[in-house]
Amino acid sequence: MVIEINGLTYTYPSTYNPALKSISFQVQTGQLVAVIGPNEAGKSTLCLALAGLIPALFHGQMQGTVMVCNMDTQQHAPGQFAEQVGLVLQNPVNQLSGMRYTVYEEVAFGLENLGVLREEMPHRIDQALQQVGLADLSERSPFTLSSGQQQRLALASILVLEPNVLLLDEPTAMLDPQGSQDIFEIIQKLVRAGTTVVIAEHRLEWIAQYADRVIVLVNGEMILDGMPGDVLSSPVLLQAGIGWLRYTQAAKRGQTRGLWPANYPLPVTLEQAVTGFQQAGLISSEQENNDADPS
Amino acid sequence: MFSLAAIVIIFSGPGGWLSAIIVGLLTMLLLWLAGLAGRVVRTIIQLLAPLTVVLFLVHGLFNPNNHTILLELGPFAIGKEGLAFASLIMLRLAATLAASLLLVITTHPAHLVQALTEVGLPHGLAYLLGSPLLLLPQIAGRIQIIQAAQQARGLETQGNLLQRVQALFPLVAPLVFSSLVDVEERSLALEVRSFSAPNPKTSLNELVDTPVQRIVRRVMILMAGVMLAVGFWWRVYSGY
Repeated sequence: MVIEINGLTYTYPSTYNPALKSISFQVQTGQLVAVIGPNEAGKSTLCLALAGLIPALFHGQMQGTVMVCNMDTQQHAPGQFAEQVGLVLQNPVNQLSGMRYTVYEEVAFGLENLGVLREEMPHRIDQALQQVGLADLSERSPFTLSSGQQQRLALASILVLEPNVLLLDEPTAMLDPQGSQDIFEIIQKLVRAGTTVVIAEHRLEWIAQYADRVIVLVNGEMILDGMPGDVLSSPVLLQAGIGWLRYTQAAKRGQTRGLWPANYPLPVTLEQAVTGFQQAGLISSEQENNDADPS
Repeated sequence: MFSLAAIVIIFSGPGGWLSAIIVGLLTMLLLWLAGLAGRVVRTIIQLLAPLTVVLFLVHGLFNPNNHTILLELGPFAIGKEGLAFASLIMLRLAATLAASLLLVITTHPAHLVQALTEVGLPHGLAYLLGSPLLLLPQIAGRIQIIQAAQQARGLETQGNLLQRVQALFPLVAPLVFSSLVDVEERSLALEVRSFSAPNPKTSLNELVDTPVQRIVRRVMILMAGVMLAVGFWWRVYSGY
């Protein structure tokens, strides 16, 4: 297991209610795990805990253990995790070092901090820029890029450190649909290449399409953990105020009117919805044919 | 190093006027050779013009050393000594600004940080000194957004001095608070890129430091030291 969390409870300094309450789960290598939940559910706190930044930088009270790549986050300084765990945050601009004139130099920043030899840097930087599709913009100023490009640069700046675990805290919050799709396609390639990814995300349609597993947090508690199809169509999401995708809502309404096959699970992707409604249409036309031809 | 030495000499060198004029002219010569003289002069005028008016008025009218009256306007008298003092301050400020701009415009912030780190300055402190140079445009952009947002809600940012002063707090407060929020996210982003890792740092670009540059730096340190000492001696014996 690349991630093992046991009984994690964490309370920020100067607050009474824990941001995370008795969280326990494990993640296998190469999984794409999505963490969903309403605002203040504890998604970002979970990402910070996995990155080893909680409690080291935030202090507060922490119970339980967080093991990432066999390293106990409470036993190591945050800087020691950089080669094992990468974290990409919401705001692309705030992730720029503010110290480099070009995209190429910006990606090098983390390598310089790690003390990587100068001769080793170009190969790793080129590879990271290729992965996120920014190789053509390597000589541009990071500040002249679009938000989507800046977020891809933030991703490249982490990928260049070659982490085994990649954490993304709402990486598409400030991006347009195309920018979001670009990020998810890059993530999918990384997962196929063996990187373990944990992503906190609001946009359920992307989760349904790309995630292997979904964890639901509400008020700091883990209330669901399972396959996207099961979790995203669970009535628990409605009670938690997260809601369902349009496809799931349409199929649920269709069920009561005979427009969705009774034995079909509720859909969470467009493809599943199309297949289900097509199937319902076939059943319906067969029934009509049978009714019209009593022989 | 030139900029630092220049500032030391401007404020502590002997002769008051003489040090500021010589260093100012030398700085302008270097800026002219770098093709930056026009740009720097425009910046200095824009920055110092309002302060010049205020300083000349205050010192011309109210400097306690005013004995030689140049002009009388009703109850007001403008003194020669006050104007001379204001001129010296403005000259020193202009020369200091020129020397500072020479550093800011001609030095890549990353190179500055790298150089400071290599001479032993802590990595974090070097970052603190270098990063604002590149983040200023971002802050300027944010000010424009806040200004537009506040104007959309009826805030008067144009008009007379009183209206502008009243508009200051609604503009500055969001800037400060949003910047503080950003600082936290930025520090997290730096931390996950091993910024505080205790290992020795490396650099993508090799810092060029020729023997001539090293000699010039040492000469600058020596000159600043000598001028500091001579300036002190001159002040003690001339009673300036």
